[in-house]
Amino acid sequence: MVGSHSEVTMLKGLLRFKSAVLPGTFISLSLLGFAFILFYTLYTSQNGSLFTALDSRIYGLLKFTLYQAFLSTVLSLFVGVLLAWALAHQSHFRGRGLLVALFSSSLVLPTLIVVFGLIGIFGRSGYLNQISMFLFDTSFGSYLYGLGGILLAHVYLNASFASRALLHSFESIPKEKYKLAKSLNFSVFERFLYVEYPALKSTLLSIGSTIFLLCFTSFAVVLLLGGSPSYNTLEVAIYEAVKLDFDIGMALKLALIQLSISAVLVVLSSGFRINVSNLKTSDALILWKESTVLGLIQWFIIGLFTLFFVLPLVVILLDGIGADFGRILREPLFIKSFITSISLATVSSILTVIIAVLLSNARRNFTLPTRLASKPFSKLLDGIIAFSGNLYLAIPSLVLGLGFFLMYQNSDASELLWSTAALLTANVLMSLPFALSVLTPAMHKTAQRYDKLAFSLGLSKIQRWFYVEYPYIKSSLGYVFALAFCFSLGDLGIIALFGSDEFSTLPWYLYQLMGSYRTTDAAGVALVLLFLVLGVFILLPKLFKEKL
Amino acid sequence: MPVKIMTLLWFLTISLFATDKPTLTIYTYDAFAASWGPGPKIKQAFEKEHNCNVKFVGLSSSIGALRKIQLEGKRTKADILLGLDTSIAQVAKTTGLFIPHELNTSKLDLPAPYSDDTFTPFDYSFFAFVYDENKLKKVPDSFEALASMPKEFKIVIQDPRSSTAGLGLLLWVKSVYGDKAGQYWKRLAPHILTITKGWSEAYGLFLKGEADMVLSYTTSPAYHMVEENRSNIKAASFKEGHYGQIEVAAVLKSSTKKALAKEFLAFMHTKIFADIIPTANWAYPVVKGAKLHKAFESLHRPKQMTLMDGATVESQRKAIVDEWLEAIAK
Repeated sequence: MVGSHSEVTMLKGLLRFKSAVLPGTFISLSLLGFAFILFYTLYTSQNGSLFTALDSRIYGLLKFTLYQAFLSTVLSLFVGVLLAWALAHQSHFRGRGLLVALFSSSLVLPTLIVVFGLIGIFGRSGYLNQISMFLFDTSFGSYLYGLGGILLAHVYLNASFASRALLHSFESIPKEKYKLAKSLNFSVFERFLYVEYPALKSTLLSIGSTIFLLCFTSFAVVLLLGGSPSYNTLEVAIYEAVKLDFDIGMALKLALIQLSISAVLVVLSSGFRINVSNLKTSDALILWKESTVLGLIQWFIIGLFTLFFVLPLVVILLDGIGADFGRILREPLFIKSFITSISLATVSSILTVIIAVLLSNARRNFTLPTRLASKPFSKLLDGIIAFSGNLYLAIPSLVLGLGFFLMYQNSDASELLWSTAALLTANVLMSLPFALSVLTPAMHKTAQRYDKLAFSLGLSKIQRWFYVEYPYIKSSLGYVFALAFCFSLGDLGIIALFGSDEFSTLPWYLYQLMGSYRTTDAAGVALVLLFLVLGVFILLPKLFKEKL
Repeated sequence: MPVKIMTLLWFLTISLFATDKPTLTIYTYDAFAASWGPGPKIKQAFEKEHNCNVKFVGLSSSIGALRKIQLEGKRTKADILLGLDTSIAQVAKTTGLFIPHELNTSKLDLPAPYSDDTFTPFDYSFFAFVYDENKLKKVPDSFEALASMPKEFKIVIQDPRSSTAGLGLLLWVKSVYGDKAGQYWKRLAPHILTITKGWSEAYGLFLKGEADMVLSYTTSPAYHMVEENRSNIKAASFKEGHYGQIEVAAVLKSSTKKALAKEFLAFMHTKIFADIIPTANWAYPVVKGAKLHKAFESLHRPKQMTLMDGATVESQRKAIVDEWLEAIAK
């Protein structure tokens, strides 16, 4: 009797959740299907010489790619921990919230902009050398191009991101533990080892694996700061094989190697989640007075990193202001790039939000015990949908670009159509993991909280969306929308393969200007891009906070 | 939606520029197409003679222009590819994208024998390392001296995969060192500040004072004498001799204006064209009796041009480039 009753409920449940499950599952399967077609295109295009000719150059490339990713990760984590530690113990100062929010913005800062700012400070004719020339009449020369520059940029982009997540871990340590440490007369080092480190361990692991993957597939930084073929990663080598050598065979070989390694890395770091949902500042503070010396050290760390973080942006502002905006803004290529960038960002961020909502909407059916979580297939489906949303981590953008490029070569459709499709796909895939990590928990919570009420009121799908879901998740939606918009606006990846005078985005245009050493124009465009990204990232979420 | 809008914008731009005159599209390297380069003057002269529009599309390098044509495949808008040199022309020819020029090139004034049915020459010069004599006191006079310069001495060169100049240097070193070229590059590597995609980028870096020497041409100093009235920019002459560059152009098979394009190739062998070249592209013209600015008299002109033939380059290029890539990798 009981059994048949529960079966009826489940059947009812399935029917009831049909409209929530189907669209998300469909999208998820389409994404996986797309990944398969991509892999198939790449695999069938190469002529079987993949494993025979792993020559010493590819081996060298691979070695350097892994080496720089490893160093970048270790350095970023080290700096991130130091900064988070200092911030956690200096919990009462004016502007702390602002500072932390600023560090979080590194997530959306276009890589190209960061590199541009770093060159402005550390380049051969950058401010550091100029000051040293002025004071000591010697210059440090050019030390930025090469491994040093690559590491510097990677630490800039990742340490702030890491410190934000680590700060959250610091702040979640129960105060009692600190009290205990104090009563046991722990030294700073002991306190870190026994109280703080255990709390950081899991974050360090997940953040570390994210950073490693990001640096392993790093493209723009290496392209600009590698300075020469002496410092190439696989991604840059793929780009050069296509654009410089037109050696598609070589590009394919590299792409398949890259693809298999990143797939292995994703699997190895399976406990891996990109956690940006906790990037909003929390007010949990450690009520602790540090000794004066310790306080000074912490202040020094905070001050030094703030300088390191803010100066490149200030340089962009200073250098950019002097640009001839009257002329730059009227350049046809600038206008074209601007329109393309904004349109692409708008479409891809809308697509990202829709896909993320549908995927999260489908997923919560399989994770909520009140819905279908107890069904045998739930775990598997949940896993599949989660993986399809994180495809980008397994498929680096240049590999994706190469796939699109081959499809384009074999088709008659226009270049514009293929370029647009390639960029939109790349942008959506790139934003999805971040979007999902924000939206999935939020939508899970709404369902948990309001399912009973909504079902008992018999709300229709549309009513439910307007009265229940939207008000609750709208701030997350705004955040995701802004994130996706900024990612798309600032990306220099796949456009490197498709960019031309006819099809150009702002980052591509900026890269062209930098390549032809039109430094003042480049500074102006960099400033425009920086303002756009920060403006969107700050203002867009506010729009969603307004009452309807 | 935006696709539609962009297609609309695209058609708008097309219709705006649509006129009755045919437009000849020429892909070339940026310095040729630049406002200060020979492009605008040649455009004006050719348009006057042939009642057409000439459109120069400047890419970061000439090999970059070839790659662009390959990437665009049958969709390319280019009628002519201008700016490859004889070393790489054979490689380009094997793509099957170009058609014969049907010109008689036997009367041209060339520093080394060259005849090809598809690519035809329009100017030539010799590769050399260029320096500022006010800044560099001890000037290397050979490849050996170059590699033995002090640690802080830096040069900028071009990537042989994208730039004919970069490839020229590789072939130059190869013809001097043969099997030991890889070892030589290993020794030179610490002095390479950076490797650029094209010549302009490298020369720009040198002029900004980022490097002590740049790979350019024996004729580059003429530019500074004529345009800037200064003689401190010099080309170092090397004991081993100088590798040369004969620049060539060819018509695309996919061109819809082949007749006009061929007329442009013929125009490259007229005196009008040859008179523009020396003081705009800063190279020697290929037409006998063309006038040469007197600044050229003070230049070091190597007696002989080292030049590998195209077929050898075609068969060995990959190996030579790979050897180089491996030698400079860190």
